Amino acid sequence: MLGSAFDAIGRVTLFGAKALRDAWSPPFEGQYLLIQLYQIGVGSFLLIVAAGFALGVVMTLHTRSTLVQFGATAALPAVQSLAFFVEIGPLVTALLMAGRVGAGIGAQLANMRATEQIDAIETLSVDSFKLLVVTRVIACTIMLPLLTLFTDATGILGGFISVHMTSHLSWTLYLQRAFEGVTLADFIPPILKTAVFGYLIATISCFYGYTTNEGSDGVRKAATKSVVISSLVVILADVILVKCIFFLFPESAI
Amino acid sequence: MSDNGGRACKGDAAIAFEQVDKEINGRIVLDSVSFSVGYGETLCILGRSGAGKSVTLKLMIGLLKADSGRVLVEGKDMATLDEDGLAKVRRKMGFLFQGAALLDSFSLSQNLALPLHRLDRGKSPDEIKRAVEETLRQVGLGKDGEKMPSALSGGMQKRAGLARALVLRPEILLADEPTSALDRITAGEIDDLLMKVKAERPTTMVIVTHDIHGARKIGDKFAVFDQGRLLGFGTPQELESKQDNRLLQEFISER
Repeated sequence: MLGSAFDAIGRVTLFGAKALRDAWSPPFEGQYLLIQLYQIGVGSFLLIVAAGFALGVVMTLHTRSTLVQFGATAALPAVQSLAFFVEIGPLVTALLMAGRVGAGIGAQLANMRATEQIDAIETLSVDSFKLLVVTRVIACTIMLPLLTLFTDATGILGGFISVHMTSHLSWTLYLQRAFEGVTLADFIPPILKTAVFGYLIATISCFYGYTTNEGSDGVRKAATKSVVISSLVVILADVILVKCIFFLFPESAI
Repeated sequence: MSDNGGRACKGDAAIAFEQVDKEINGRIVLDSVSFSVGYGETLCILGRSGAGKSVTLKLMIGLLKADSGRVLVEGKDMATLDEDGLAKVRRKMGFLFQGAALLDSFSLSQNLALPLHRLDRGKSPDEIKRAVEETLRQVGLGKDGEKMPSALSGGMQKRAGLARALVLRPEILLADEPTSALDRITAGEIDDLLMKVKAERPTTMVIVTHDIHGARKIGDKFAVFDQGRLLGFGTPQELESKQDNRLLQEFISER
């Protein structure tokens, strides 16, 4: 059990390292990369926006009731923005993408393997790894930070609407309070952190999709493993990356 | 193999198997198999399901490697080629998969254009478009280029798969059950297409099939497999003369 876990970790690591190495050598599969950027980015946009907005509203409702007890409701916008920028935005975006994109990548590649599409690509003298894996890893790594920006923005918007409904706080004042205590160290490192999440999600999902060869059952297994393992790895990586951010930007570790 | 300007003469071996063994998941799929296919010849591989026919094709194009023995394509040992060497050999080959294996996120035209973009780098986008249209017309799908594979019937998918295998005008065509799961008329059309290709340009073909009627129409030689072993190899007439081998006769009989 433990041996097979270490074996899997080793194989995924080598797989991810190969994707990183191959990303820098031609052919760059630009057309296919654009398709992946569109499918991963634009395809996830509505989900991200809706989730960010709803979380923003819900979080404000919960936080408000606590802050009222301490007479600190004025701090609500700042709490909301810091929470979204530092942790909620990056982590929720990554977990949503692990669910949507991870399952999609795992199932699609496993299905392509089962229906000999990957073999067909190889017989055409096209490097299937570069075409299918490297493009997805690059697209996911680029798109996660961009989508996180939208989660953050819609989360703050949701928070504002929730606050505005109860206290009629103006948009300008809300924004002013929301960004008062926010520094670049609160914003940039967590956004960059999501690029690592994107790389991990795509690598793990591609690994389980690309290397499976068990027919339709393999498709099911690949989709499930892609979601479960990439979600777990994202959470574990978050712990490590937060520690790294605190080390590199001590001012953000208050 | 003779080497006259990169193209050997008819009679030389385009493909040769030398004592090839292959085991998959603990099961012996090929057991010491040896045969050769001459340039311009059409070899039909017959046999029961699971007899090692598809594996034989995949060994020829380097998707699988032999456990022992050698698979030679135009004299080159497929197991020892690096990626570039393999790409050069594959450039001369077309492969039709049993399920067509069209890329389902690409339209038909894009499926055919993919190898042209990669391997015929000298071609302009217009030339590629013309080559794709011409090949699709050749297989009777001239008006279906923008369709996605999922919108095609089984027979159309097979023809599209054949078009993709032919788009680079390969010297060697490998086809895995090109007529399986098709009605007699559509199967006949596919056989006619293969014969037409051969009539237009000298092409070495290896075709895995269960359709003895079609095999007799297009095959110069038959290889009959049973449980990973080569039961018989030769022209239909040579195999028919081996009347003492009942199993072999059952495979090549048209009844």
